[in-house]
Amino acid sequence: MERFHEILQNRHEYARAWKKKTGGKVIGYYEPYMPEEIVYAAGALPVRLLSQHEPDDTTDRQMYGNCACSRDILNQFIKGRYDYIDGLINAEGCQWMLNAFQTTLNNQPELFNHYIFVPDYVDGKTSKDVMRSELVVFKKAVENWMGKPINDSDLDRAIEVYNTNRRLMRQVYELRRADNPVVLGSEAMEMVLASQVMDKTEMNKILEDAIAKLANRKPRTDTGVRLMLVGSPTSDVALEELVESLGANVVIDEVCTGSCYFWNEVIPQTNRLMAISLRYLGRPHCALKDNNWRRRPAHIHQLYEDYQAQGVIIAKQIYCHPHGTDNPLIWKILRERNIPFHYFERDMTLPYEETRLRLEAFINMLKPMLVLK
Amino acid sequence: MSKQKWETRPLEVWNKAKEMRAKWQKSIDTASSERVLLAQGNCQWSIGFPALRVIEDNPVGAMMANKSDEFARVSRLAGEIIGWGREICGYQLNCWGAMYLGHQIDGSPFPLRDLVIPFSDPCDQHTKRGQAPMDYSPIPRFQENYPLYTGPQDPNRDKTMIEDKVYTTLYIIAEIERIFGQKFDDERFVASVKVSGGITPYAQEVSRFMQHIPSPLSQKDLYSFYTLGGLTKGDPGETVAIWKALRDEVEWRVQNNIAAVGNERFRWMEAHPPPWHFLKYYRYMEKYGAVCIGSQYSHMMAGPMELKKDGTWGPRFSGGGFGRTIDRPIKTREDAIRVMLGTEARGHRFKDDEVIRPWALDDFAKAYKADGAILPLWRCGVGCTVTRKEQGLRLSEMGVRVLHYEGSQPGDRTDLDENRLFDQLDVWMESQGLRKLED
Repeated sequence: MERFHEILQNRHEYARAWKKKTGGKVIGYYEPYMPEEIVYAAGALPVRLLSQHEPDDTTDRQMYGNCACSRDILNQFIKGRYDYIDGLINAEGCQWMLNAFQTTLNNQPELFNHYIFVPDYVDGKTSKDVMRSELVVFKKAVENWMGKPINDSDLDRAIEVYNTNRRLMRQVYELRRADNPVVLGSEAMEMVLASQVMDKTEMNKILEDAIAKLANRKPRTDTGVRLMLVGSPTSDVALEELVESLGANVVIDEVCTGSCYFWNEVIPQTNRLMAISLRYLGRPHCALKDNNWRRRPAHIHQLYEDYQAQGVIIAKQIYCHPHGTDNPLIWKILRERNIPFHYFERDMTLPYEETRLRLEAFINMLKPMLVLK
Repeated sequence: MSKQKWETRPLEVWNKAKEMRAKWQKSIDTASSERVLLAQGNCQWSIGFPALRVIEDNPVGAMMANKSDEFARVSRLAGEIIGWGREICGYQLNCWGAMYLGHQIDGSPFPLRDLVIPFSDPCDQHTKRGQAPMDYSPIPRFQENYPLYTGPQDPNRDKTMIEDKVYTTLYIIAEIERIFGQKFDDERFVASVKVSGGITPYAQEVSRFMQHIPSPLSQKDLYSFYTLGGLTKGDPGETVAIWKALRDEVEWRVQNNIAAVGNERFRWMEAHPPPWHFLKYYRYMEKYGAVCIGSQYSHMMAGPMELKKDGTWGPRFSGGGFGRTIDRPIKTREDAIRVMLGTEARGHRFKDDEVIRPWALDDFAKAYKADGAILPLWRCGVGCTVTRKEQGLRLSEMGVRVLHYEGSQPGDRTDLDENRLFDQLDVWMESQGLRKLED
């Protein structure tokens, strides 16, 4: 567990060390729809650009009204923390991230870059063809940049590594379903976040080891109220740790940088790029793409039931328009099903005292339910 | 007060535009009593359904902001109470807030939508549009893709994306026929595509006439026309006739130096919509002899324009309908859809420029000889504010003086400090050595 914490905290150093060790290239990406398998098959390291939640003192010149995540990623580029990045990919997600992508390229036009159009209508009958066609173009662009072809066996190897990682993460999440889970919410989230900035082959080894050790861990009886986390992407575990300090535990999340990152696998088929397309279009919908066939509410409810949560925290990043527009239905569904929830907005940093007070009140409200149970 | 340099006079065609707009508004209000379907969204093909009227939440929200701040505020609050973020697009919050309240400004029932048709756009809020009425009452909602990519044009990418759009459009039309039992009138649709394509050349000419000094129209004049044939749907023939009349009148104004602002001595441009509840700043700027020559947004009916190598301002696409080439006879539904979509999957609207041609605003400034630019920073609308700061930097570098002001969103007056904006305008103009010509 410490290793994941260490890598997440020192992710820039990790990537620099990886580069030094392998001589490979590092590609930064903004959105969860980026087909990492293709980058990995080419021998490069895909790294999700995560924000750091620190006060932003550089981006005002170029940005206004952006969410803290997109601003902070630009902030880190301007400060040179991402100096190891060789290329930038944006697979269409939200507009703030597209803005961060463009603005970074305006500052660093020398970076390899590519924009993948990801259908807004993810369930559309022909959307899979559009996505596959986009992946053909993307693969070719990566091949040209890397100076070598990506063949089917490369893709198969990458798919297997990524699917293994997804299976292992599902195993970790399964452990959280227990009445007395052996793994805390903050620990699980650190694992998922770390997996997004690490070489997956290395990650899988560490993960297998960690899962073996978790099997021998004594179940905790002090984790208290079981909560679910829903909302905008996160890049640290401050909220989970705060919840734990208040006698509760986040047992499941529906967050793009959390469970949604690994929830479904690539189902192999002869046409590798189609298989990858279907995996990304079929992943749990992000708030932006859940615009026609509404899958998020049912998925959230399913997770809530499966993990026996007793309440939901909806944490929205301020200026996150996908969630700001999607929430009414989520609230409605939760209310209809008598699921208690607490909604709050995050900004660049987590206002600790205010959030603590509010969460404490929410958790205390849920405690009588434990007695009744 | 200084002597006026040029003659000014109201536009004669203005009343016709107002009538068309009022007629359209009435058709929305009476949709329910007339037993016709009311769709949220905006598609050119909707005209093929004789008993279907379309409306977008943008104009509804904008009009609410303009007519009653009190009602708009109550509506936004109704949205916030059920879960909308307060920093979300004011158009949507105004419009759907009124839906949650169940009534309009005048107390009449809110016209509930029967279905949702696409109005896709690179703005994320547009992608999510129509979700609110679908979630509120279970009505059919249809979505399409709005393709976008960076870098040079790629015909192969375009081809797949266009085929997807053709398929989706045909599918949506067939589904509406199936669900609502309405027959799609192919002849009417084909005719409308042929006729409506006629708007673009007129709109392009109007747009080009505004390069003239003195400008024959100002931004606020253009706002009376720029939705006709787009968001405001009327008879295609009548709409083309209004655009022709406008073109003729504007041409005459240019020939006779009839000005929008009689003392024009400063030309300024904008980006994206203004605060619809506070349009008086246009008049205020006229006191300085400053005319607003528009924005890519208000010139959008002209289609995408570009600065040619010879310095002229012309359409990016040659040919007819919607600024694109009609390269085939239009006989069937599919033919008409293909003409509507064109051959380039991206780049049909001003918003695409922010991604694929970020220099387009600079070209606009050059083409219209803009001295200054007033670029709003809207806190609550991703599409209304994204890239604005960088656009300002680029314009400043080419010598165009830039003023930013802050506000919530064009349909939300919460954060717009009106007195401060006037002060900013005074300081900005005086910093350029310009004093008011009248007060």
